Amino acid sequence: MNNANCDPHGRRVIIVGGGPAGLTAGYRLAQMGLPSVILEKDQIVGGISRTVSYKGFHFDIGGHRFFTKIKAVDDMWKEVLNDDFLRRKRLSRIYYRRKFFYYPLRPFNAFAGLGLWESTMILASYLYARLFPHRQEETFEQWVSNRFGRRLFQTFFKTYSEKVWGMSCSEIRAEWAAQRIKGLSLLSALRNALAGQNGANKKRVIKTLIDEFDYPRLGPGMMWREVAARIEQSGSRVLLGAEVEGIMRAENGVEAVTISRNGEREVLHGSDFISSMPLKELLLKFEPPVPDQVKTAAHNLKYRDFLTVAVIVDKSRLFPDNWIYIHDPAVRVGRIQNFKNWSPFMVPDQSKTCLGLEYFCFEGDDLWRQPDRQLIQMAAEELEMLQLAERSSVEDGHVVRMPKAYPVYDSEYNDSLRIIEDFLRGIPNLQVVGRNGMHKYNNQDHSMLTAMLAAENVVGAAHDLWRVNEEQHYHEEVTIAPEQQRLLKEKLRAAFARMDSFAFATATGLVCSMLLLLATLFVLLRQDSPLVPYMGLLGQYFIGYSVTPGGALLGAVSCFTWVFLLSWLFAYLRNFMIGFFIYRIKRKMELLTFKDFLDHF
Amino acid sequence: MAANQINDEEKLFSGILRLNAKVFGLVLGIVLGLLVFVATNWLLLKGGHRTPDGRYVVGPHLQLLSQFFIGYRVSFWGSIIGFFYGFALGTLSGSAIGWIYNKIVDWRK
Repeated sequence: MNNANCDPHGRRVIIVGGGPAGLTAGYRLAQMGLPSVILEKDQIVGGISRTVSYKGFHFDIGGHRFFTKIKAVDDMWKEVLNDDFLRRKRLSRIYYRRKFFYYPLRPFNAFAGLGLWESTMILASYLYARLFPHRQEETFEQWVSNRFGRRLFQTFFKTYSEKVWGMSCSEIRAEWAAQRIKGLSLLSALRNALAGQNGANKKRVIKTLIDEFDYPRLGPGMMWREVAARIEQSGSRVLLGAEVEGIMRAENGVEAVTISRNGEREVLHGSDFISSMPLKELLLKFEPPVPDQVKTAAHNLKYRDFLTVAVIVDKSRLFPDNWIYIHDPAVRVGRIQNFKNWSPFMVPDQSKTCLGLEYFCFEGDDLWRQPDRQLIQMAAEELEMLQLAERSSVEDGHVVRMPKAYPVYDSEYNDSLRIIEDFLRGIPNLQVVGRNGMHKYNNQDHSMLTAMLAAENVVGAAHDLWRVNEEQHYHEEVTIAPEQQRLLKEKLRAAFARMDSFAFATATGLVCSMLLLLATLFVLLRQDSPLVPYMGLLGQYFIGYSVTPGGALLGAVSCFTWVFLLSWLFAYLRNFMIGFFIYRIKRKMELLTFKDFLDHF
Repeated sequence: MAANQINDEEKLFSGILRLNAKVFGLVLGIVLGLLVFVATNWLLLKGGHRTPDGRYVVGPHLQLLSQFFIGYRVSFWGSIIGFFYGFALGTLSGSAIGWIYNKIVDWRK
């Protein structure tokens, strides 16, 4: 039994996982003066945000942009690395049939890349889908086809989605896409759209949020190595190569974890436990075991695994993108990172380029089991097939396998997660954080936020971690005061409120007809007015009108009818245009959802 | 939270616009005032024509406005007077439209 690293009250936090979430929790606790022990089963910290070094070349496991709307996370990044951040321009295009395409699609770029015939077919297919959509959206394929047309789905989304998921798009449930959409608030989108009308602000926001990001000079691993070092300086411990074998649970919560490290078993007791290890593994390590229902739910959680083949190419420049999405069905690679474009410091020799070819796979499948040498050879061949680099220019390579890189959102995961969430809520001193820890599509910053909130919970706060990033509202609730949010909603409602066509038409009709009536009576009162013949011309439009008392009354009725119709049309068109504007914002949200989809892998 | 969001969107679309009668009146007043001002000066810039009896006439039809707007002439000073008449008429009409519109919206609620 090891009871070192306790605070004066005998409190000690055990953190399972040395990725962004686990390290952030340890860092925050250290700042609060609470000691912790971080257990990382690998020999390197950073989890999926690690940076691997090979012969002086640095590469990531996937690309990790340092970009966040969460101030606390941004502050921590700046606090840890400050001057070591580079501001990088983002360029990430889709590579299809040896041509680069921007996403969201740009008309001229798409037209030039696809050609007249294909572009026309895509447009026709899109119009067909809008006119005759699938009545029921049960699959991802139907969902996308209804919004973008079948042709565009087959061209741009099908191959990449299937590479990422490892299953046919007709097997992926539509709920996944709908869930991503649900996370985007129309009110927020309208607010952004209105803010975007302000030219200078628009440029700044778009520039910051889409086109640029921060990146550590030597990759994200630089950040996590520094965080781990600071945690250790504070007196807490980061144990590498420490694999959790068992989690001992009593009635009042978790008491200890059993770990194996350097071939030895050790029991670590703690007062609080934070876990970022995959939820499935966590639940299956409980002693005594979890109830059967929870065990079944744990088994229902699936993961997509991932391997990176980093190749060193004897070329100084290949393409300007930070990364490219490979939608080409002829090759197995899903995405290619160009690490030199992330940071020039990632490559020790500027005459060479280091590419990371990313393959989505399942642990144990043919790709996963292939020897490294064969994988490097395949990567070189695929680079040549894609005409991105010649096979002979590939000098060397290194393979990194990353199990459980992405939680799979299939038809079973949501119900299973609810069961697990209910079970874990019953264990007061155990909190789960991070992407795999919560089986959620948390980005690095969301993972860090869950960890920060978990650390605050240890000292008495009561944050509900399951709500973070659930619908991306949590950030808004954290950053925008409720009063401001209420005012914002009121303003938006006022700006987009529907005009009552009937009321507007009646009001304008009444006022105009009254004006005509009064004007005519006024002229009649002034005898021999030169206006009489001219006003009489109004009878051409207002049936029954003449410059007489009776004609004035008939003219007023006729005038009311005309003005009523025109004003009703005006109000109707005004409402239609507002509706169209909102429709466009919604469509844009759907398009950006796919950017989000691409970015998540 | 999803339910809240749907609720938000429903509220957004179900809201009925209320007109600010004063602002609407003011806007219509300025528009109508400017219309008279610009129309008058436009005719002045274009110039008039001489009648067979040798009189120089500018904008005889617009001049008919003086039947309603007492003191109005097709001249620069007349355009300023016309602006004020137009402004007054527009403001009254706009305010009346706004007021009636809001009353009908209330009534229809």
